[in-house]
Amino acid sequence: MNAISINNINKHFYDPVEFQVLKDISFDVKKGEFVAVTGKSGSGKSTLLYLLSTMDTQYDGKIEINGTELTGLSQNELAKFRNEQIGFVFQFHFLLPEFTVLDNVMLPALKLNKKSKDEIEAEAIASLHLLGLKGNEHKKASKISGGQQQRVAIARALINSPSIIMGDEPTGNLDSKNTNIVFDVFKELAKERGQTIIAVTHDDEFAANCDRIIEMSDGKIIRQ
Amino acid sequence: MNTNQKIAKVHLTSRFRQLLVAILSVSFGISMYIAMNSFMAGVNNIQTEITFTTMSHIKIYNDLSEEITPIIPKPNDSNTILMVNNARNIQYTQGIKNADAIKNELLNLPEINGVALQLNEKVFIRNGVSNTSASLSGIETVNENKLFETSKYIINGNLSELDKRSDGIILGVGLAQTIGVKVGNTISVLTSEGVSKTFKIIGLLESGSKVRDKTSALITIQTARQLFSKNKSYATDVLANTYDYNNASEVAEKVRQLTGYKVESWQEGNSQLESSSLLRDILAIAVSLTILIVAGFGIYNIMNMTVNEKIKEIAILKAMGFNGKDVIEIFLTQSVAIGLIGGFVGLFLGNVIVQMLDIVTFKIASQNTLPVAYRLKDYLLAFSFGLIITLIAGYLPSRKASKVDPVEILRG
Repeated sequence: MNAISINNINKHFYDPVEFQVLKDISFDVKKGEFVAVTGKSGSGKSTLLYLLSTMDTQYDGKIEINGTELTGLSQNELAKFRNEQIGFVFQFHFLLPEFTVLDNVMLPALKLNKKSKDEIEAEAIASLHLLGLKGNEHKKASKISGGQQQRVAIARALINSPSIIMGDEPTGNLDSKNTNIVFDVFKELAKERGQTIIAVTHDDEFAANCDRIIEMSDGKIIRQ
Repeated sequence: MNTNQKIAKVHLTSRFRQLLVAILSVSFGISMYIAMNSFMAGVNNIQTEITFTTMSHIKIYNDLSEEITPIIPKPNDSNTILMVNNARNIQYTQGIKNADAIKNELLNLPEINGVALQLNEKVFIRNGVSNTSASLSGIETVNENKLFETSKYIINGNLSELDKRSDGIILGVGLAQTIGVKVGNTISVLTSEGVSKTFKIIGLLESGSKVRDKTSALITIQTARQLFSKNKSYATDVLANTYDYNNASEVAEKVRQLTGYKVESWQEGNSQLESSSLLRDILAIAVSLTILIVAGFGIYNIMNMTVNEKIKEIAILKAMGFNGKDVIEIFLTQSVAIGLIGGFVGLFLGNVIVQMLDIVTFKIASQNTLPVAYRLKDYLLAFSFGLIITLIAGYLPSRKASKVDPVEILRG
């Protein structure tokens, strides 16, 4: 079973004019693969990612993740799936500023409610340690550096042990030092934990070090 | 507390000033509702008290104008013409002859709180040269006092003194002033039959009603009966009070079965009293409800602003897997918290305001301070209205929040 399997995806934007952003996209991603999606601005890569994330449901075609067909599910069902199986890292960290670092990481797990609060807290602390954020657990999210915030966002994406981590330019806002830290974390997750990772990126060096590159241009896949 | 409520709590506590403003607007609305309605209820009560200082709930009297029987009945055959000029109906009965019997029957009814007999006639009061008209009231001091608390309004003397002296009389202050007499002076009372008797003034009546104080004179009913040569059980009016003045008309209907004399409830005699009381109540509720609604708009505004400011957070929460219902719960919880806290503070504040009003000096009827009433229903209604309005005001922005499209927000 593939981690991700998409078939004949077509998507149009209608505002301001009709424009086809994705043209007949099909590909598979195996479990444990670390995939980079590259392409010029406007090639449709972020759009594709948001379709995969289950947040965008306006498309033609089929999307299957871990054997579950997502096309046609209701918003609530998709939200549940997202909570459980997908960890998303955006270009901007989007932490909740009024909550502590620890709370931010724990939130998706508390929502899922499959483990006790203590278990979740322990896992969250372990995650933060893994990402080099020991000692920052109880600081307010708005009070740490940009690089640290992005790493907290990654810890948050990991908390429910999702089958897939999706990143939309996860290192776009980071300096080279932090970019390397993040990249190493991803690599380790893929290798050691068998985590499937698919990341949209403009960073060619980042992409080159992944297992596989999917290159897009004008809404089509030109290399995979 | 589940996750959504925890998030709501963080939202609330992290912007303390905004929370305070929201709570205060609810509290203000609720406390004003309580203050206005308590005050209005107090005013209505005073109005009632003033009314019932002189009016009884039920009055029985001999209504002479009713049932005028024709002197000569209309002839049956068509060959006869009937013409009667200047017909005079001579009533053989005036007033109520066996009033004591009626009184006792009334006292047997469970709804009746008290009965008093009165003998009321117009007389002339003479003091040396001046001649002033007055309404003489022969009363049963104990019963009259039970119904109207008359002794409260007697100054410079005592109501019970009337029973001790058969020539004692109490004049209204205005009347005494018109005649030019004070307590201790004597006056002469002249009836319409031409009977004259000297009385000593043993007290003055200050009821607060100018009309009453300018025309009333009080003596015992026994003295009055003697003055007008009536027998022991004679009265012109039988007055009765019920325990609850609201059911006076029903009780009056019952009483009508007991006697042929005219039985009138206070509502029949004075319908404008009920209407004005009702109007005052409507006014109080309308104004205070309006204030609460305005407070509701305030809450709506604040919640709307909160949702707008947190729109990115909502998108993130949705990206994490929180669904629309969760988002509604998060923001509705905040509104409910504001409504509850604001509500309790408002109840407390409202009570404090009413207590403050209670001690403001103001002379009306028997009160020396502003009239207020402490009614549980005002507090319950205020809290309920406040909560409902806050819920509605909070629900609409919450619903808007739940419909946020995360993709739109996060992709910018």
